[in-house]
Amino acid sequence: MSRIAVVVVMLLASTFARSELLIKVTEGRVDAVPIAVVPFAGSQGAPEDVSAIVAADLHRSGQFKPLPAEDMLSRPSKQSEVIYRDFRVLGMEYIVAGSMKAQETGGYEITYALYDVSSEVKLLEETYRPPVSQLRDVAHAISDRIYEQLTGIPGAFSTKILYVTHNRGAANPFQLQYADADGHRVTTILRSREPIMSPAWSPDGRKVTYVSFEDRGLPAIYVHELATTKREKVSSFKGINGAPDWSPDGQKLALTLSRDGNPEIYMLDINTKALTRLTNHYGIDTEPRWLPDGENLVFTSSRSGGPQIYKLNINDKSVRRVSFQGAYNARPDVTPDGRYLVYVHRRNGNFNVGVQDLQRGTFNIVTRTDMDESPSVAPNGSMVIYGTQDRGTGVLEAVSIDGRVKVELPSKEGEVREPAWSPFL
Amino acid sequence: MRSFLNPLFALMLAAALAACSSTPTEEDTSATDTTEPTEVAPVTPVEPTAPAKPDTSSIPMTADNFYNHPSNYDGTTNTKVIYFAFDSNTVPAAAFETLRAHATYLKNNANAKVRLEGHADERGTREYNVALSERRSKAVEKFLRVQGVSASQIEVVSYGEEKPAAFGHSEMDWAKNRRVELNYTAGRP
Repeated sequence: MSRIAVVVVMLLASTFARSELLIKVTEGRVDAVPIAVVPFAGSQGAPEDVSAIVAADLHRSGQFKPLPAEDMLSRPSKQSEVIYRDFRVLGMEYIVAGSMKAQETGGYEITYALYDVSSEVKLLEETYRPPVSQLRDVAHAISDRIYEQLTGIPGAFSTKILYVTHNRGAANPFQLQYADADGHRVTTILRSREPIMSPAWSPDGRKVTYVSFEDRGLPAIYVHELATTKREKVSSFKGINGAPDWSPDGQKLALTLSRDGNPEIYMLDINTKALTRLTNHYGIDTEPRWLPDGENLVFTSSRSGGPQIYKLNINDKSVRRVSFQGAYNARPDVTPDGRYLVYVHRRNGNFNVGVQDLQRGTFNIVTRTDMDESPSVAPNGSMVIYGTQDRGTGVLEAVSIDGRVKVELPSKEGEVREPAWSPFL
Repeated sequence: MRSFLNPLFALMLAAALAACSSTPTEEDTSATDTTEPTEVAPVTPVEPTAPAKPDTSSIPMTADNFYNHPSNYDGTTNTKVIYFAFDSNTVPAAAFETLRAHATYLKNNANAKVRLEGHADERGTREYNVALSERRSKAVEKFLRVQGVSASQIEVVSYGEEKPAAFGHSEMDWAKNRRVELNYTAGRP
């Protein structure tokens, strides 16, 4: 009887998922931690299965290997029902068990706890009372708490991904969208006949900036407030207006302009519109990214021939080359601790994502796809999401900084490109 | 693959040489021509035919020579796309006549305005490709300016890889996408 119910829930889930990004872990860690996320009592028939979302989140991190529900010998919902032996024989290290109860006010009460199988100790217990519209938010919040409790690193399941889609036949082929980090709840924030490029988040996650060619096919940089949909065109100089990146203090954009004849890095004060030119070289300078200190940028420059990564101090404008392996290194991003650079690296004609450890000086290629682009680091520094091609179509994939976990996010409609991982929201 | 260029240039050179030798020289008539003509042979004037455009259909088109292939350029303002070699912003020689035709048109029509839209193939990062494609449109702009076109008649915009002309992922698709399109925004020829 319960098995039939599970099948029905899965079918429902797959119909809901149709317009959303699907996520598939293609490579997990061999030492992923076995965990049993027991289906919460009362989750059947609920508008969202919170325990299933938690299990999927933990699975997608690659750090955990959730036990399939049908393999569970018992299904506790509270501490008094937990039989540790039932999970120990299956090799489980942790148990998540809980319940969700519909409230008369319309929302749900969700209670769960995290148990350590070897010490038979409760590590964590929480209760939430969300309205139906926030069930997914609560599920991701629970995933964040469990992830942090067990790894010591804050979870990034409650974050969002901003990206550009392209549907060639559509009246407005270009769309700017964002979705939950698990690909659900897609929101379209801009549709256009002309290209949309280089989306980036404000540090508080309330605004985004991007390049749009909507005005007579010419590029301009916009600042767009998500809650109000209010937009401001902040840069529309002659030539290139490109590659905006928001400063950590939220006051400035780094951007690329060719208004003086050649692509150079500038800094734009968003409030006063004061513009400061930071580079001066006849080569191409573009793709700036702020380092967490707010005093330095990394960017792509062709000043030594092909594109390489350079570091730029915004105060004294000194420039120093950072990448040395190979003839093509471009579009850097940086981890929140400033330790790792991720960027696009060409090797044997393939474009891959590489990770450079600025402390130890090592460089590793962490993807095996081709045509990789636009790597963007999660706010907890654990994963990098990037654009690549799957059978000729643009798709998103994610990889852990150490390259050991790989996740595919195949799109059902059209191309998906230029992902930008939000800050903690 | 690169060797395909050589037969192409050889053919063009041969065509140029053939054009030169069509004018007879003094030496052609001298040595064996000893007998005096006794009578004047009847002469029929030949209707001069317009000089035919060189037939380039036999030159194989490859992804490597696509940018400089004569069949891509008709020497008039009807041709509105200039192609480029991989990682290059050099205007191809085969496009010179076409661009001169555009320059002449723009000089003779002061109200005409052209937008030079630069494009790159999909390899590499997007904003870097925007910068690369700007170099292509600027190379075309420079060519037109050297011919005497006013700067006020030219606008440059760079799309990088965002607006491909060919949607596949082969070398030939990429060759078709490395391009500058001449888009008249006023006074279209």
